Amino acid sequence: MSEIINRPIVNTFGRFGANGVKVELPSDIKVSELIVEEGQSRIVTLEDVSYKLNATVKAGGTLELVQLHEDESLLINDVKVTCEKGATFKWYRAILGGSGEASSYDNCSVYLNGDDSSFEAYVGYRLGGKENYDGNVEAIHYGKNTESKITASGVLADDARKMLKSTIDFRTGCKGAVGEETEDVLLMNETVRNRSVPMILCGEEDVQGEHGATIGRLDENLVYYLESRGMEHEKVYEMMAEAKLNTVLRRIPDHELE
Amino acid sequence: MSEEKTHVEDIDRALYDFRYEDKDAFKVEGGLSEEIVEQISREKNDPSWMRDFRLRSLEIYRRTPMPDWGPSIEGLNMDNIVTYVRPNTERMNTKWEDVPENIKNTFEKLGIPEAERKSLAGVGAQYDSELVYHNVREEVARRGVIYTDIESALHGEYADMIKEKFMKLVPPEDHKFAALHGAVWSGGSFVYVPSGVSVEIPLQSYFRLNAPGAGQFEHTLIIVDEGAYLHFIEGCSAPKYNVANLHAGCVELYVGKNATLRYSTIENWSKNMYNLNTKRATVAEGGKVEWVSGSFGSHVSYLYPMSILAGRKARAEFTGVTFAGAGQNLDTGCKIFHIAPETTSYVNTRSISKDGGISTFRSGVMIGHKAEDSKAAVSCQSLMVDDVSRSDTIPAMEVNTDKADIGHEAKIGRIPSDAVYYLMSRGISEDEARALIVSGFADNVSKELPLEYAVEMNNLIRLEMKGAIG
Amino acid sequence: MPEILLNASNLKVSVEDKSILKGLDITIGRGETHVIMGPNGAGKSTLAAALMGAPGYEVTEGSATLESKDLLEMNVSERARAGLFLSFQNPVEVPGISLESFLRTSLEQRTGEKVKLWDFRKKIRAVLETVGLDASYAERDLNVGFSGGEKKKAEILQLLLLKPKLAILDETDSGLDVDAVRTVSKGIEEFQNNEDASLLIITHNAAILDSLKVDKVHILIDGRIVKTGGPELISEVSEQGFVKFEGEE
Repeated sequence: MSEIINRPIVNTFGRFGANGVKVELPSDIKVSELIVEEGQSRIVTLEDVSYKLNATVKAGGTLELVQLHEDESLLINDVKVTCEKGATFKWYRAILGGSGEASSYDNCSVYLNGDDSSFEAYVGYRLGGKENYDGNVEAIHYGKNTESKITASGVLADDARKMLKSTIDFRTGCKGAVGEETEDVLLMNETVRNRSVPMILCGEEDVQGEHGATIGRLDENLVYYLESRGMEHEKVYEMMAEAKLNTVLRRIPDHELE
Repeated sequence: MSEEKTHVEDIDRALYDFRYEDKDAFKVEGGLSEEIVEQISREKNDPSWMRDFRLRSLEIYRRTPMPDWGPSIEGLNMDNIVTYVRPNTERMNTKWEDVPENIKNTFEKLGIPEAERKSLAGVGAQYDSELVYHNVREEVARRGVIYTDIESALHGEYADMIKEKFMKLVPPEDHKFAALHGAVWSGGSFVYVPSGVSVEIPLQSYFRLNAPGAGQFEHTLIIVDEGAYLHFIEGCSAPKYNVANLHAGCVELYVGKNATLRYSTIENWSKNMYNLNTKRATVAEGGKVEWVSGSFGSHVSYLYPMSILAGRKARAEFTGVTFAGAGQNLDTGCKIFHIAPETTSYVNTRSISKDGGISTFRSGVMIGHKAEDSKAAVSCQSLMVDDVSRSDTIPAMEVNTDKADIGHEAKIGRIPSDAVYYLMSRGISEDEARALIVSGFADNVSKELPLEYAVEMNNLIRLEMKGAIG
Repeated sequence: MPEILLNASNLKVSVEDKSILKGLDITIGRGETHVIMGPNGAGKSTLAAALMGAPGYEVTEGSATLESKDLLEMNVSERARAGLFLSFQNPVEVPGISLESFLRTSLEQRTGEKVKLWDFRKKIRAVLETVGLDASYAERDLNVGFSGGEKKKAEILQLLLLKPKLAILDETDSGLDVDAVRTVSKGIEEFQNNEDASLLIITHNAAILDSLKVDKVHILIDGRIVKTGGPELISEVSEQGFVKFEGEE
């Protein structure tokens, strides 16, 4: 059964391929419901599986979801989380590819319904070979004083292709909400393709929204500095590629696989 | 010297809302058919290639679906749009004194004589799909600069140049309203600046809608040859009607090697207009295109000036401000395609939404495989004035080479209350303080405009902001 | 007679097509400490950048050798591995890489051997103390959030760990408070303790030179070295400024 996934809340010019992807859902996709009770804290780890997760984090609760993708399989991931008052959802997403050809698709939509709820997303990826990633992350602010922070950092090598859509959606009434998106992509080869669509939608006056994206190669002065310490050009890129990934990976909490 | 627009009280929306009864004007009946297109072609004395082009465009128009993204244009019914209206006058007046009284009054009120006194090089004004008043300053003409209405240029010595370039940058296949434009286009300016000529005075064009339901399909074609410089200003206004009004104009800009073209626009269409305009520039090696754009009017706008950086070291700069008020849905932005090495682009936009207005910033920056050592920077800021309006920022970036640097930033927030407080503590009323802050917010554009435009823009903002509180 | 380490001859350097160094000659022997002084804009930093191979600096004429090997033929990392070190005026921040892992990788690149983790940890801690930085700096991202003084100290730290043959210190004392100047000075002294170590100190203010052994002083004005002498030149400059040297050849 094929369907259109990763459709963002609003569309942009068709040419950029940002308005959703048509895929065949794998038959072995796991479907799960999860409720984190009031005041409870849970860490859930998923590795190399296609997942459809519907979660609710009740008042004051915390859910941390760690999703790692290291093998060369096709992966389709769809996470929907609803946060009630004071609830927190943190999403850690690492895609450690390298030389394969697999595609992965991520959708993570978080509804910050309760006042003071918050969402943090850390997406780190390293893609090479002919790998392809299409991600869609959405923070939908309904409650007052809600916070969202989406950070994505990654490296593209060989013929890899990547599309990341991130949306901060301030709905009318979410007074005092704050949203931030940061994206940082290191391109290492002339045949990579990067697409970034960082969106901010706003229907409320009393908010603060910000996003920043940096795409391309390393800063010339940075390369010079590292080379002046004896590091060869390739080594510099190798080291910085790892550093980029590290800024996200180092945040992953200690966890046990479920 | 007439009205100096320095006080808010002087600016009355009604100034722009006057209209005249059009008794003798020739009207084309109803909606679109081959007969209508052929009638238009005959009326204009088109060369045969143009007639064929119009018919081919009509065919493309018919088979192209309406766009399925962006603000709704359901309110637009093409059958009700009378596409072509020509006022009762001889073509191409070169002297202001010869222009018919009622038409002259329209432009008098819009400040054209004043502008002429202020040394603008020439004014091409379109009144209901037709170029009425046209005067090219002698100095400019003597230097080889051609500034004329595009229809007569189709028969003159520049006919081949136009044929070679007409709707090649924006082909009818591009989208439904480009096809419509190709079929029923009417009037517009043709400008050619020869190599090495720097036109010191901005060339200006004006156009206006007047008849109920009339559409505007003017075509602007500008060619700036190697090493030349031109600043072209496009400003427009239209009165209010009950019937939907459509503007589907087209602007094609060819910037030659090491040449610079600055294209400034203040769009202040009335609040029932559908503004579906297509503007595109192609820039050759070492050339530069500077877009300065203020979008204030219209009911619905789709406006994304596009720059194609086709030669090494070509540059594009886009500075824009969009102000969406009650009943408005303005979908604006820009597109930049880097397809040559060492090209640079810089986009700086601000948007303001108020009283239920919807402002959407949509952009697309594409760095092609061959665009090594290119740089692109996009910065957009949005200001929300209340919580019944909307402001959406939808930027897209695509990079196809590792040897490039792209940066993007966006910010959204409200009018900072500490700034309002500070101004009030100096005796300024809250309304005025907010208006000042908002017009300051739009300074990225106002400082790029010639003074009288900047003043007009600031006054427009003040007008919109007045009564924002309470 | 000390062996010659660095020999630059008729060095002409341009930045953005503007000629900055107009024919510079300098010879530095093994174990020697040279000081270059001169007014702002004379070309002191340009010399440092040109020797290191910084982007944007074009050597239009002349030569430079390190231990008789053609320096100008090498790329930046090769020059570093050949034993050249430049302490930057304003070092870049490198997020995602800790000071420790960066230094370890640099050392490995230089020696070609893997560095033992624990040995290295001890070494780093000792040097951090010498330069007056807390042990926690080892784990911090390189230069990220470091104050101006801390960045300079981190540069000296690298100097001490990497043990280059010739260290060029570019305005290392600028922007530092008195205590920091003292610590940096101490670090440089420590470096000098190694008999083979050579230093080229660029400064326009003598404070840092107080406790250091200096072999030769060069006055650089308008892209050329106009005078070379001993340490007595330092006090001459402190008292009388550079004006008296302008016009000398």
